[in-house]
Amino acid sequence: MDNTKVNSVSSPAPKRRKKAASLDKRKAHAGWVFVAPFLIGFVLIYLPIIFDSIKFSFHEIDPVRTGGYTLTWVGLNNYQEALFVNPDYVKTLISGIQQLILEVPSIVIFSLFIAVLLNDKIAGRAAFRAILFVPVILSTGLIESIDASNNLSEFMDAEAGIEDGTGASAAAQLSAAIDLEALFANMKVGTGLVEYVANAVDGISDIVNRSGVQILIFLAGLQSISPAIYESCRMDGATTWETFWKITFPMISPMILVNAFYTIIDAFTSESNAVMKLIDSVYSQPDGNVLSSAMAWMYFLIVILILCAVGGIMSAFVFYQRRD
Amino acid sequence: MNSQPVVKKDTKNKIRVEFDRTPLKDRLKAKFGNMAFYSNVVWYLFRFIILLGVSYIVLYPFFTKIAASFMSPDDFIDVTVMLIPKYPSLDQYKEIFIENEYMSAFFNTLALSLISAVLQTFVSCLVGYGLAKFKFKGNALIMGAVILTMVVPHGTVYLSMFMQFRYFDIFKIGEVGIIQLLTGNSLQLTGSFWPMVILSITGLAFKNGLYIFMMRQFFRGVPDELEESAYIDGSGTFRTFLQIIIPLSIPMMITIFLFAFSWQWTDNFYTEMFMSSNRKLILMPDIVGVPKTLETTYAGQELYYSAINNTCGIMIILPLVVLYLFCQKYLVQGIERSGIVG
Repeated sequence: MDNTKVNSVSSPAPKRRKKAASLDKRKAHAGWVFVAPFLIGFVLIYLPIIFDSIKFSFHEIDPVRTGGYTLTWVGLNNYQEALFVNPDYVKTLISGIQQLILEVPSIVIFSLFIAVLLNDKIAGRAAFRAILFVPVILSTGLIESIDASNNLSEFMDAEAGIEDGTGASAAAQLSAAIDLEALFANMKVGTGLVEYVANAVDGISDIVNRSGVQILIFLAGLQSISPAIYESCRMDGATTWETFWKITFPMISPMILVNAFYTIIDAFTSESNAVMKLIDSVYSQPDGNVLSSAMAWMYFLIVILILCAVGGIMSAFVFYQRRD
Repeated sequence: MNSQPVVKKDTKNKIRVEFDRTPLKDRLKAKFGNMAFYSNVVWYLFRFIILLGVSYIVLYPFFTKIAASFMSPDDFIDVTVMLIPKYPSLDQYKEIFIENEYMSAFFNTLALSLISAVLQTFVSCLVGYGLAKFKFKGNALIMGAVILTMVVPHGTVYLSMFMQFRYFDIFKIGEVGIIQLLTGNSLQLTGSFWPMVILSITGLAFKNGLYIFMMRQFFRGVPDELEESAYIDGSGTFRTFLQIIIPLSIPMMITIFLFAFSWQWTDNFYTEMFMSSNRKLILMPDIVGVPKTLETTYAGQELYYSAINNTCGIMIILPLVVLYLFCQKYLVQGIERSGIVG
């Protein structure tokens, strides 16, 4: 369908030259055929969905018993309700974005750290890699929602009988044993930093569970750095520490950008996200479905802004090696 | 000290060389007596312990869930019970299996996941190839569209996606589309597999944007010469695709298939949105819940119910665990090979 449309658009050029379509043209046509399934779906299904979603956010919706629904235009009412009437939205949004900004660096740094540890030869390397990837496959969707409603954890602390299923208690035991805050307080660093690190350690199970893909992306990036560079560095007497900051870090910086993007998208589209939870709960309220659309669109715009900001700032520091 | 090696001839084809070896003490000293060796050992141990700890954090929840799944109600109020139940029972598994109709959920979900995963794999392969290897106007625009489908969160399109398939129609202008013109009514596709099939064929289903992106990156790494030589030998574009490109990309397609299959298997977003209206169609999300025969009222009730829900989770992911054990190599390598890198 799309193919014929393109044919009619691009036909004047071959006609003028009175020749069969050139190889490039024919290849371009074939390209349209290959992307046709997606293109048809995007134009006929996805764009209407997006369009409807924007439209709904400006309307009230009433289902009609005979089938179908009626829409009444209410202008910016839904947006106003989300921002000024709903008690939770703005609060959740701000704390959600704060959390996102705090979480993304921890996940990226953690996955880079683990990837560096895994990169050299070590016993059971394949097994570690497989284990770290387990949450990507097994802790999504249904399991995530079961975990979210897990009240085992609250009882665990009180009863100390068995452990809960979320892994948070494993981390809690860990941080209780180390007593991080006391440790850092003696080192005379700012309390803000101490709190951040302590929070990161408390949430370690969450961080580990969400960095599976990032670790693999970093590993692949590390593998693609030529060993010759490291060898010549060692010849010149550089230490491992220097090599990391002068060679590994710049060479891996494009992957840091990719992973930052991946983490942000993954974080704000996941169902455990507080804002998404709020939107879901608003959706299931009576008359809440259009309100949830309005909330979701505002959220989406904010995240796009964050992505642009992160991309803009980080691409200034990313180092690209010209290979060709 | 006689350091000259002496060559002795044993037989016709065999020689023996005699020389003074460096004494064992000196050799050991050279190997173990320097700082570099110890720092390597410390670094190795450090890495190993950290990785072990992280693996423990990943696997720990599964241990506790498995342990809790074998416990009977009495274990949950017994303070002395840690991971190993005192009164082990298989009641939880038995009741979920029988009363929550695990088997029908299993087969229905298997059918749904297989259909969607096969379609998604094939379509991502097609679209990825088209985007990677053909230059045409709008190529970058379509790639942008693919990324858009990745970035827009579920919640944003929840309502309108449901509406789209509840009152399904194409070429909708205003409120009336082609199907309504022909049959007088729009189609209700919710409550069947059709919404998932349509979304899969058009590459719009869960995380399909990611699959298309991975496929595109993979094909960009395939040298053009391969296809050019096929073209010169007189093979057309589609024959080249079927006979050269598809066999070449089978490992990558297995990766995509595994992702699509397992994410569809545990999916509750689309499944609940499209199929919850059909009570007869039992899928994995429907089996999560406390079976009637296990309902109790005692001190450890909430804990027990949580454990039952987690047991449901275990039974849901059990088939995936088996799959993962055999195929993890493909999953892990697929990400590395896909060249999201570079």
